[in-house]
Amino acid sequence: MTVPARRLVSALPEELFDVQLTVNGAAQRASVPARRLLSDFLRHDLGLTGTHVGCEHGVCGACTVLLDGRPVRSCLLLAVTADGSDVTTVEGLAEPDGTLSPVQQAFQDCHGLQCGYCTPGFLTTITAGLRETPNPTRDDAREMIAGNLCRCTGYLNIIAAVLRAAELSDGRP
Amino acid sequence: MKVSDEVMLHGSIDDVWQAINDPAVLVRTIPGCELLEVTGPDRYRIVVSAGVAAIRGTYSGEVAMHDQQAPTSFVLTASGAGAPGTVRTDVAVTLSEDGSGRTRLRYDADAAIGGVIAGVGQRMLTAVAKKTAGEFFAAVDDVLTGAMPISAEAASPGAEPAGRTFVAPGPSGRTPNGFVSGALVGGAIAIAGVLVGRLLGRRP
Amino acid sequence: MFGQPIVRREDPRLLVGQGAYLDDLGQDALAAAFVRSPYAHARITDIDVSAALEVDDLVAIYTYDDLAGPLADPLPLLIPHPTLTHGRTAHALARDEVNHVGEAIAMVIAHDRYLAEDAAERIVVSYEPLPEVVGIEAARDGSILVHDDVPGNLAARMVQENGDAAAAIAAAAHRLTLDLQVERSASTPLEPRGVLARWDTESRRLRMWSSTQTATGLRAAIAAKLQLDLVDVEVIAPDIGGGFGVKINHPWPEDVLVAFAARTLQRPVKFTEDRREHFIASAHERGQLHHVEVGYDDDGRMVGLSVRFWHDNGAYVPYGLIVPIVTSTQLLGPYRPGSYRVEFDSLYTNTVMVTPYRGAGRPQGCFVMERTLDAIARERGLDRVEVRRRNFIQPEEMPYDQGLIFQDGRPLIYDSGNYPAAMDLLTKLVGWSDFESYREQARAEGRRVGIGVACYVEGTGVGPYEGGHVQIETSGRVKVATGLTTQGQGHETVFAQIVADELGVPIDSVQIVTGDTRRMPYSVGTFASRAAVMSGSAIALAARAAREKILRVAAEALEASPDDLEIDDGLVHVKGNPGAGIPLGTVAVLSNPLRYAFDEASKAATQFAVGDQEGPPVADDDEPGLEGRDFYSPPRATFACGMHAAIVETDPETAEIRILRYCVVHDCGRLINPRIVEGQIHGGVAQGVAGALYERMAYDEHGQLQNASFMDFLMPYVTEVPSQIEIDHLETPSPLNPLGIKGAGEAGVIPSAAVFAAAIEDAEGFPITRMPISPSELFALRQQHRKVSR
Repeated sequence: MTVPARRLVSALPEELFDVQLTVNGAAQRASVPARRLLSDFLRHDLGLTGTHVGCEHGVCGACTVLLDGRPVRSCLLLAVTADGSDVTTVEGLAEPDGTLSPVQQAFQDCHGLQCGYCTPGFLTTITAGLRETPNPTRDDAREMIAGNLCRCTGYLNIIAAVLRAAELSDGRP
Repeated sequence: MKVSDEVMLHGSIDDVWQAINDPAVLVRTIPGCELLEVTGPDRYRIVVSAGVAAIRGTYSGEVAMHDQQAPTSFVLTASGAGAPGTVRTDVAVTLSEDGSGRTRLRYDADAAIGGVIAGVGQRMLTAVAKKTAGEFFAAVDDVLTGAMPISAEAASPGAEPAGRTFVAPGPSGRTPNGFVSGALVGGAIAIAGVLVGRLLGRRP
Repeated sequence: MFGQPIVRREDPRLLVGQGAYLDDLGQDALAAAFVRSPYAHARITDIDVSAALEVDDLVAIYTYDDLAGPLADPLPLLIPHPTLTHGRTAHALARDEVNHVGEAIAMVIAHDRYLAEDAAERIVVSYEPLPEVVGIEAARDGSILVHDDVPGNLAARMVQENGDAAAAIAAAAHRLTLDLQVERSASTPLEPRGVLARWDTESRRLRMWSSTQTATGLRAAIAAKLQLDLVDVEVIAPDIGGGFGVKINHPWPEDVLVAFAARTLQRPVKFTEDRREHFIASAHERGQLHHVEVGYDDDGRMVGLSVRFWHDNGAYVPYGLIVPIVTSTQLLGPYRPGSYRVEFDSLYTNTVMVTPYRGAGRPQGCFVMERTLDAIARERGLDRVEVRRRNFIQPEEMPYDQGLIFQDGRPLIYDSGNYPAAMDLLTKLVGWSDFESYREQARAEGRRVGIGVACYVEGTGVGPYEGGHVQIETSGRVKVATGLTTQGQGHETVFAQIVADELGVPIDSVQIVTGDTRRMPYSVGTFASRAAVMSGSAIALAARAAREKILRVAAEALEASPDDLEIDDGLVHVKGNPGAGIPLGTVAVLSNPLRYAFDEASKAATQFAVGDQEGPPVADDDEPGLEGRDFYSPPRATFACGMHAAIVETDPETAEIRILRYCVVHDCGRLINPRIVEGQIHGGVAQGVAGALYERMAYDEHGQLQNASFMDFLMPYVTEVPSQIEIDHLETPSPLNPLGIKGAGEAGVIPSAAVFAAAIEDAEGFPITRMPISPSELFALRQQHRKVSR
């Protein structure tokens, strides 16, 4: 299913560049100025508001998406550099029928979120992390999430969610 | 809202007076001017597409010249209404020679602006007015110095039959005939030539 | 459902990216950006916007000159107090003077944020810089003023006392003096502020969304500023990415200006703050300087306590004196101070204003009291826990009147609590009596460890009131609304648990709405750990009112007495006869006598279908529909308490501080959802650790905030928080509300500065009087004390 891209409101003196990429399995295309951040592109041009912006300087990790499978800070990337890439956002983690992914389910089971603002960044980060380390120890789990800020939970339940997600995935990569 | 400014133009006082009363000059120098139509003695209808930034659109209004004392002063009154607002403005223009072959032109515009367009903020309105006026006078100056060639015959002040219409030259460079004695001076008109579509959500 | 640790009902949509936070809304809105002062103190001499006109899609630029009527007046002083004689608040846009870096001077409206910022960058403001006042010492010196008409930078001086502290201290067997300091920090939620406004031209009404902790507060303030009737203003708090206190202040300049622009331009307008703006244009808290004098007897019991402190309130005081009043009163903790006197000066500085941050002045007060008790214990050679026990208010003394006025304007009376029992739990949990042998063992290994304890009380659930509205629809769904707001506390879950129990319905049939003035227009807001107490109680009362009506209407239909009925799983039936019942939806149909049926079910309520031909269809004292509405308004706050213990290790060479163990004993009365309470404690402890060891606002002497980003303001990652938090609960139910609950939201963070200072001091052997503390500061203190002891 393609989501129609919203037209960028300003079409004036800024030169526009054609960006074509796959987002959550769907082909997307838009014309954007060079300075358009990937986070703003996803949120406002494509209407995928699940990715959140907490700092715009790459520290908090709330904006983390998967670019060709690797977690990146979408606030530190220009949309134009994602041309030709395969992006996964939080909206692309669940099954098509709505079943939560193991990571998402684990967060619910373990009370791993409170306000939910940082959560999308954790979900994508951990999804990629578990692919690399399908059977994490507690220390592995801490390492995996050590680049994401959460102000609400104090992290303990998030660590539990990482371990539970590994359980739910049966150690599958 | 009051907007005042002074500019120096490179011409004698008579040349300047003639230029700003010449429809061929005006239709090329008023930013965004598309159409001038004589509707009566010293009365004109004008269509201007003008403004800056998002304050841009088409204005259709009435202009009247009065209290002319050639070549030193006149007063222009303009009014118009559109979806985003209303304008009524009086502009007092005075000319004086400075003795070096240049003419000092001073305008004092007093505008009453209402409606949505009045809501864009006083400083922005004033800045738009001055900027548009600045563009107008720079263009007039180009005419006076010959930097912008105008091929229409000079006109002399006097009544013109109603209904005569002057159209802005397109890329082909057509020059209008006829004469308009309206001086569209000051950004007050440019402001009034303001924005329907942009502000009211022509955007998707 | 009450007391069950069920999973949260708000999670499913948040987990799939279907949350609706402020910036997710209003994709068609114009964007606002601000020109903000780069000077901490300056006069504005000119604002030149001409260069901004180069930016296409620029729609408007506003400065103070564009504001008229109430919009041109300063923002409201929200909480007046008789001692707040020199309260000053900002104008929505600076009039002629700016008083902190970040103060708003001009608002730009454009078609998107990038362009709005382009335009804002091109606006040239001319300033005449003025001398700056930064820090408490400079403020109280008073030779340079923040506001010309506020002598000595003194917003207020307040004294509260109970007994004659000076005399008691003078007559005491022993006396001590302490000078203590807590530095400035901030809430820093992951989602910064944001506001969206839509003006409906046809009906001339305003609808706003704001990432706010008080929808009704904002609504009233906006209505006043824009001269609209309350009924023509709607405010909705959408999903909010954390508040922690900073979002209780209202109206922000941006709220007022965005609403003004939306009405003026007749287009929706949205502002979302970026991170730097949050640092320099929202609010901070915590900075205070204290001077303590205490008198005590041979056993370490206090007989008199006198506290003089100075509170840095930043450039403006819209929130009044709440933070220092909370410090003044909650400083007493679970203790009897003997005679008590507290005096504070609330001082202006050319820095961001100060409004509550989780704890709201309690952390400072707790720090002061706990350091004082530790000092007494040290001087007397007594066990620190023993000294605390000797000063505790005993459970049989409840309710205990401290003889002061609290932040809600009511007497400071502790309604319930068992401090000795809590301490028993804590000492057992952390192994207090085993610590000395552990220390010896560590010392033998060349390691330096220390243990600290800290206790606090928290007056939670302050008034004036909250409301609950419960409505049962003909579908059987139960729609519940309360006016306060949610920033991650799980209100959609815990309030549904209450309703499910009260009404006897499946929890999935209950829908909770918070923070929407359209659904519940009477409310105060979310702060002071009050939501569960206030809205929980109000919703319970409203549900009980609805239940009473359900049974009355069903009783008629079932030809039984209401006392013989009960509700199970959404079905009303005679007790002992679950088979023959009517579903709640049908009762809802019957509760509203109809002329016109609108669907199959509603036919049962039309005039030829229902019974009694005698009386009026709706009785005199009754109303149509199946609703319950009620308000809970407490006589005063209800007192939760907590005690924390921490074991730390300090590196003998690098002075790095490691948390070995962190223990919490917590009493918030009855728990609606233990898992959610635990989550609140985890989060609070993490913020407390951060506040004790990492976070501070680094202002230079010119009022420039040098660490206005996450790169330099050290928010904790998982690596900085304890890897385990050991929690034990005590429950002393509150006698003041129908559910027996007390607030839990701020608990985790209150005693942190105190407990870490105590543990580090215990490890190092010299006093820690100032928090937060970093390894380099600890290192420097070591040098200092080494020199002294030579």
